[in-house]
Amino acid sequence: MKRVAAPHLGTIKMRLTCPFCGERDHQEFTYRGDASATRPPMDNGSIEDHNTYVFDRTNPDGEHRELWNHTSGCRMHMVVTRNTTTHKISNCEPVGPWTKALGGKS
Amino acid sequence: MVDVPERVSPLDAVVEPGVFGANTRSLEVFLSENLCGSLVQVQAWPDTVGAVEKAVQSVTKLGVPKAPATAHSETVSIMQTGPGRWLVDSEVEGLEDKLRGKVSAKNGAVTGLTHARVLIQIKGPKAAWVLASGIAIDFDLTAFPVGTSQISHHHEIGVTIHRTGEENFDLYVFTSFARGFWHWITTASSEVGYAVS
Repeated sequence: MKRVAAPHLGTIKMRLTCPFCGERDHQEFTYRGDASATRPPMDNGSIEDHNTYVFDRTNPDGEHRELWNHTSGCRMHMVVTRNTTTHKISNCEPVGPWTKALGGKS
Repeated sequence: MVDVPERVSPLDAVVEPGVFGANTRSLEVFLSENLCGSLVQVQAWPDTVGAVEKAVQSVTKLGVPKAPATAHSETVSIMQTGPGRWLVDSEVEGLEDKLRGKVSAKNGAVTGLTHARVLIQIKGPKAAWVLASGIAIDFDLTAFPVGTSQISHHHEIGVTIHRTGEENFDLYVFTSFARGFWHWITTASSEVGYAVS
């Protein structure tokens, strides 16, 4: 049986621009989850809210905001906007306590 | 000061001085292992960067660099490895205690890495070519100039790379992965021929 690869596989090299280290291969990074999910307050919120936060994902076909960690570099977290169909990265911005120092929005 | 055992290199069993590889008449890569006198990581908190920079400066007598630039004298090199974080390499032992005396826990964290990293030096006309064969960063002089540092990895083995000359690199590798890294770098150098000293 002749198999045909999806058109983007094997042709697109995903590269992320770390706010500290600059542009690097995606293998230096670790995916840390959906950045659009907001955790309900730990001392408030229904069990349904927490269930939604942990399990429910929209799985969009297109742009998606994700948390990535530069594990083989500066170890900073960042929010990456990635197109789930083409792997095109349209934005990388720092998050966390060093956001301001890295020129991001605090 | 805490008593620590005598240092033993993880590469002792595999580093063999000599000439190896394909073209031993015209060597283009030279490898050596060196032990750091002191290797210390200093991490500031977001609101104490200025205080920690002053503390590092007072101990090392060097201005604290802004990445990717490094600062170095004859005995000390400082590399910025993250926001508010520096790696200080010194030929002189005891730097960790000196820095710990100047950087309080309120201002930051001082971590001794002398036993946690191995310093492998690679030089020669093909040094950048060998490194580029396994590490996915740009080693061109315009992208990675002399006197700068980069952090990357080779097959999940983290490495901090300090370009000390056009054809000279200091590689700081995790001690427990040093043999695996050494195996790769000698295999990659075999194609052009290399000398180990």
